[in-house]
Amino acid sequence: MSRFLIQRPLPHGGRLVERVVTDKEAAKKMIKGCPSYDIKPTLHYETGVPVRNVYREIMSICYGFFSPVEGSMKQAEVERILKERRLLNEWIFPYPLVFDISEEDYKQLGVGPGDRLVLNLKGKPFAILDIEEVWRIDNPEELAHLTFGTPERNPEVVREPFNKKHPGWVIYRSLQPVVLAGKYTIINEPKFRPPFDRFWYPPRKSREEFDKRGWRTVINHQTRNVPHVGHEFLMKCAAFTGDVEPCHGILVNAVIGVKRRGDYPDEAIVEGHEAVNKGGYIKPERHLPTIVLWDMRYGNPLESLLHGIIRQNMGCTHHMFGRDHAAVGEYYDKWATQILWTKGIPSYGFPAPPTDVPYGLDIRPQNMREFSYCPTCKEMAYSETCGHKREKLSGSFLRGMVAEGVQPPTIIMRPEVYKVIVKWWKHFGYPFCNEKYVVNKEKELEVDLEDL
Amino acid sequence: MGEYFMVVLLDDHRMAKIRGTGLEEHIKYMFGGELRLLEVKVTEELKDRILQEFDTARVDSRGAITDVPVAFMRELFNQVVEKKSLGPEVVEAVLEKVDEIKKAAEKESEYLPPPEIEEE
Repeated sequence: MSRFLIQRPLPHGGRLVERVVTDKEAAKKMIKGCPSYDIKPTLHYETGVPVRNVYREIMSICYGFFSPVEGSMKQAEVERILKERRLLNEWIFPYPLVFDISEEDYKQLGVGPGDRLVLNLKGKPFAILDIEEVWRIDNPEELAHLTFGTPERNPEVVREPFNKKHPGWVIYRSLQPVVLAGKYTIINEPKFRPPFDRFWYPPRKSREEFDKRGWRTVINHQTRNVPHVGHEFLMKCAAFTGDVEPCHGILVNAVIGVKRRGDYPDEAIVEGHEAVNKGGYIKPERHLPTIVLWDMRYGNPLESLLHGIIRQNMGCTHHMFGRDHAAVGEYYDKWATQILWTKGIPSYGFPAPPTDVPYGLDIRPQNMREFSYCPTCKEMAYSETCGHKREKLSGSFLRGMVAEGVQPPTIIMRPEVYKVIVKWWKHFGYPFCNEKYVVNKEKELEVDLEDL
Repeated sequence: MGEYFMVVLLDDHRMAKIRGTGLEEHIKYMFGGELRLLEVKVTEELKDRILQEFDTARVDSRGAITDVPVAFMRELFNQVVEKKSLGPEVVEAVLEKVDEIKKAAEKESEYLPPPEIEEE
């Protein structure tokens, strides 16, 4: 065997967290006599619009996407994350994750450390939270600033102060004051509704799927967008990394969560990626679209850290990062993520890249620039190799074209992908997420639950 | 200070309307000639006004202002034809009708007719 062969990394923290009870009788016994609480969405602190649902975090924690995190964080853990981006067990992690409730709900519940709380979702028992500590967020605005940073404290990559136009900042600013900290366990497995059900590959299942397909090396493509041909070329060409041969598999992992108006519907995103392989542009044997539940924080380098953790846990050997990774607005340097993965960002606690610090990550970054159409080469060309003037592709430009009812040329969007957009456009009466979609989505969520 | 612009896509119907306006020579072709368009100049100040008026509006990596309501884009084309120009005065004229556009945009944020294409 060649010494250059790359092996699949262990999960972050050394083992997969799996906190899902599948035996209904055992689950019933576990919750007998316990107080219960109906999970509520986090509402925007000014507008009241849903900006987060903690159920998505509970799912991602209990199915191991966020390993080694096991629950809602204690105060000391949150403080350490804000200072050093590390958990109390030393492993790196970018964001505070908490189960927050109002003072009124806390009083009404009357629970404390040592109590088990049953968390209901859509009126059915869903998970339990074994409370170890109760603490308070005294100043959510300060928490939001500390979570993302400031131009003064993080001059390497933060360009503008975060504010209420940043959806991730708003999530932390909108948290309720009482945090119930402790481990979560899912006691009633939710069932994903179509089309999400066929894209659900939690880490154990994705690792088994990679084995089944003979994928030793797998590169992840992060998405929250319908793919255009520029994305497709990024996926295909980034996969030429690997070891002695290109990566065996391309994992597309779509972040499914609360939407912003103007985004594509999640249904179109996942089926759009599937259309790429159904159309043969990347053959299905090499391509697997999947989902993870998470309300995006849009933290660019910090978000990339979480993405690295999720995809390492899923079994990927490589992660592709492009320009403005998981970004919104101009808060961060366009290349902040690539700076983190090549040099580190000392002010965030990374004097070296996250792969080169103790208790760091093993997934390998594959930093990419851009693909766009070159009229001289008459093909999609890479910005770092093509010497001609190229026609830049942007998702926003494409959205405008779609909204005006103009089918994008095949060279920038595959007709199979466009058909998926139109399919869901007909279903929702709109090609993108509008207010109705956003509100309904947060009411219906992606899952249903059976009686326990 | 960047240079900003807005793209007006040209289908056959719109091509007929700009015939004789002198704008034909400014038509740009993209993606191997598969797409025809005009670019309308936008000043920094106008860019800021658009972003302020329409919360979905974004500036993309090329400096193009996108994600404004379809009603805005329709009026943009009307003003291009009326003014026979691609200068900033076109967007200025569009912004004079901002209330009208917002009213139309309210309806279009609930429903946009999908194109009739064959589904699989």
